[in-house]
Amino acid sequence: MVMADTRIVEIYNLCKSFGTHKVLDDVSLNVQRGDNLVVFGRSGQGKSVLLKCIIGLMQPDSGKILINGNDVFSLSVKQLNEVRKNIGFLFQSAALYDSMTVRENLSFPLKRHFPDRTQKEIDDKINHTLELVSLSEAIDKMPSELSGGMRKRIGLARSIITDPELMLYDEPTTGLDPITTKEISELIINLQKKLNMTSIVVTHDLVCAKIIADRAIFLREAKVAYEGSIKDLTDSDDKFLKNFFSHEIVKEEE
Amino acid sequence: MKLPHQKYGRKLKTSDYIYNFFATITGLTIFNIQFIKEVFIPPYEISEIKKHMDELGVKTFGIVSITGIILGLVLTMQSQPVMQRFGATDFLPAMVSISVIRELGPVITALIFTGRVSSGIGAELGSMRVTEQIDAMEVSAVNPFKYLVVTRVIATTMILPILTIYVVFIELAGSFFEIVLVESMTLKYFVDSVINAIQFGDFIPGIGKTFVFGFITGLVGCYKGFTAEGGTEGVGRASTTAVVLSSLLILIFDMVLVKISLWLWPTLG
Repeated sequence: MVMADTRIVEIYNLCKSFGTHKVLDDVSLNVQRGDNLVVFGRSGQGKSVLLKCIIGLMQPDSGKILINGNDVFSLSVKQLNEVRKNIGFLFQSAALYDSMTVRENLSFPLKRHFPDRTQKEIDDKINHTLELVSLSEAIDKMPSELSGGMRKRIGLARSIITDPELMLYDEPTTGLDPITTKEISELIINLQKKLNMTSIVVTHDLVCAKIIADRAIFLREAKVAYEGSIKDLTDSDDKFLKNFFSHEIVKEEE
Repeated sequence: MKLPHQKYGRKLKTSDYIYNFFATITGLTIFNIQFIKEVFIPPYEISEIKKHMDELGVKTFGIVSITGIILGLVLTMQSQPVMQRFGATDFLPAMVSISVIRELGPVITALIFTGRVSSGIGAELGSMRVTEQIDAMEVSAVNPFKYLVVTRVIATTMILPILTIYVVFIELAGSFFEIVLVESMTLKYFVDSVINAIQFGDFIPGIGKTFVFGFITGLVGCYKGFTAEGGTEGVGRASTTAVVLSSLLILIFDMVLVKISLWLWPTLG
């Protein structure tokens, strides 16, 4: 019972296929409150699908996902939206609304999740959140005027503006230069500590993972193939992991 | 909502085209049912509907004005010699006004409107789909179908009849300019002839069918954009197929609605 209280995400026997291509096969996983879990895996191995299932954007073929004890797939739309209030999602492309300014992008989830808030409260929250990501000056800009790194920061600001307990990051540093990658990763970990959030990060990026992760799993052939700390995974003698984490090509034996 | 899979991006066989045709019709029907289900459930997103109506009006105002005036002029230019041959030039205003109100005004305005608007909606929603903005909306506790589709379809359905009434006036103005260039006709005579020629049965079906054309424009644009897949190529495809499909549906529905209106108002025939 004590364990159940500390689990924020519980995944049981999750399976998902696209046609004949199986991307998740009997995946089970728990994330404790305050944990920073990194999900590794090659492209097309179901990492993003896992995140989208957690937040209810995608329906698995079978299996169960509990968030704070609520079964995501048996909730009504209204109940699911209540659960989503406590979840932030940073999309791979940041997914900023092109037709809205940064201010409107940030106020959009706030107004929807908290319709009772006054305009003053919303404005204060937007200003505070932009300060957290160090982009106060971008408030009236359109997404098309922002660089890749700035878009990620604004995407991050939009995800955390509802003060979620759980953050899901889909490739937060993909397409960024090494310095911006470090900056974004450090920003994520600082926000994590400041706002006391739990996070699940899908990435290929070892630099980002090393900064963020407490724990990591590796998805291979639709299953959780490896689990441990980042050090466990990077120092492993397993040829597949060596291949993934080093720059050398290590031939795997059949 | 699951929509039928659409096969694209490689050399298609005849069977693929047939499959795609029926898949599109099925998908559009499911999309339509979803619209009917969602349209009556709050929140009604009134501010979004107003915003879209404003945008659509501004976007299409210029082009329909130019088309309207040219159409009025050309229609009169073409009809005048024939009417003159029969010594019936006095009937020109009546003839032009009936053609314009019954058929040319509604259909031409709808085709221009759909060319401009359904491609825009298809491209906009398509790019929102492929860049995960629609998913982001869902995560923010917003029903994207209601916020993006229902509001746009209502806006196109409401704005097209207004535009059509405006275009009818512009076309009649064009016609009047052409008539006074070659004939000695007063504005009063022109207006009286038009008013005497038009019956209730001309006006209601003519303008009434533009609600259907507006609905088709919005629904097809949204359907193609909302179900876009395959990156930027998918966005382009959504945009072009939206125009083709909506124009075709407008002409098919025009034929059906004309038949229905003749059945309801037999004196029109």
